[in-house]
Amino acid sequence: MNGTGRALLRLFSVQGVWNYERMLGVGVGYAAEPLLEDLKAKDPVRHSEAVVRSAEFFNCNPNLAGLAVGATVRAEYDSAPGPQIARLRTALCSPLGALGDQLFWAGLLPALVGAALVVVVLGGGLWGIIGFLVAYNIVHVWTASWSLRTGLAAGMGVGAAIGSSWVPRSIPRVGLAAGFAVGLAAPIVANWYLDPFGRLSVVAVLLVAALGVVSGRLFGPRMTGGRFALVAVLLTLVCRLILR
Amino acid sequence: MIVTPLVLLSLIVWGTLVGLDLVSVAQTMIARPFVAGGVAGVLLGDPMAGLRAGVLLELFALDVLPVGAARYPDYGPATIAATVVLAGAPWELSLGLAGTIGLLVSVLGGWSLQQLRRMNAEAVQRHAAALAAGDSAAIRRLQYAGILRDAVRSALLTAVGLAGAWGAQRWLTLDRRTAVALTLVVIGAGLAAAIGGALRSAGRGPRRNWLAAGLVVGAAVAAFL
Repeated sequence: MNGTGRALLRLFSVQGVWNYERMLGVGVGYAAEPLLEDLKAKDPVRHSEAVVRSAEFFNCNPNLAGLAVGATVRAEYDSAPGPQIARLRTALCSPLGALGDQLFWAGLLPALVGAALVVVVLGGGLWGIIGFLVAYNIVHVWTASWSLRTGLAAGMGVGAAIGSSWVPRSIPRVGLAAGFAVGLAAPIVANWYLDPFGRLSVVAVLLVAALGVVSGRLFGPRMTGGRFALVAVLLTLVCRLILR
Repeated sequence: MIVTPLVLLSLIVWGTLVGLDLVSVAQTMIARPFVAGGVAGVLLGDPMAGLRAGVLLELFALDVLPVGAARYPDYGPATIAATVVLAGAPWELSLGLAGTIGLLVSVLGGWSLQQLRRMNAEAVQRHAAALAAGDSAAIRRLQYAGILRDAVRSALLTAVGLAGAWGAQRWLTLDRRTAVALTLVVIGAGLAAAIGGALRSAGRGPRRNWLAAGLVVGAAVAAFL
């Protein structure tokens, strides 16, 4: 396997040693290593400096990390000055983080999960899971490959390459699909669970749900869905104990 | 339900893979609760229990945005524990307890991820001189050790979750009314989590309209079912 293929494989474990010190830095260095091998023979000193730079602090969405890996490696081969490459890495953190988070975590993922939940509860069962995994990973693997290839081709001009690519254009569309899919899934999943229960139970569930949404809005990120659920369970158990 | 040693082992292996998938390796989304639960259900011989537990915890997972250095729950191994509670039992009476066990294990998983990140940082500090010297082998060692640490974390978390599930089945006997009430509470809280997360992501833009449209169409479909 050539260096690009090995780097692509390594991108799938770019968060393998995620930490508060360098965040994705060491993982990016690990992914860049096969691409930097040719530099070792040409210019060992430059290679050593490039390896040091490749593993310094870096953070972004892991799905777009290939853009940073490719661009910085290309810049090393183009003999760009070290401080300029370090500035490029710093400059890429925020946009690659924001674009990747919006595209994947707030867009594609909830869109596909919402659709898969509908398939699962409407009788598709495990096929809904298989369809979800196949659809997500086609985009996941293709994006990783595209990121690395684009970064390698663009080098220091990666910012312009990202700006004119499909990534910023697709975010609003994927976001709308995510909103619709989660909205579609919620009542269908609720019906799947509440089918065997009476009307009073349905009203009780809707009340708990409304209370949960309101408390989330009131208390913000401190009151996550999980925390609200644990508080509600605790209150239910206490009420049941008192009523006994 | 009696879990044989082979099934127990396969659940721990599955939990380890699922835990690794969350952050460290691949991120193929097998860590999503409905995937983790579906496979755990198949391993336990009760796929429906896995889907019931998985879909419930998926509603909570939709509330989570795993961005930057945020602390977030680990729902994968947690769903496996919840599935064990639910397998072979009437779901209407066990979903509340299963969901509660799952949520508690997910919180423990979130805490374990914090510890893992601290341990990784300490390892990076120990190798600071080698990294400053441009030693590629040090980068590889750090990477493999980090993945190994996460594998151990995931296996331990799954084992603790399974022990919790076993303990809950054995010692927590709820009367019928309490069991049903807990089931309804976790379903309601799950729906709140999913809708709350969607509202937060939607902001005030057109995405909110699409969310509303989805809710209307979903309610219409549910009414016809």
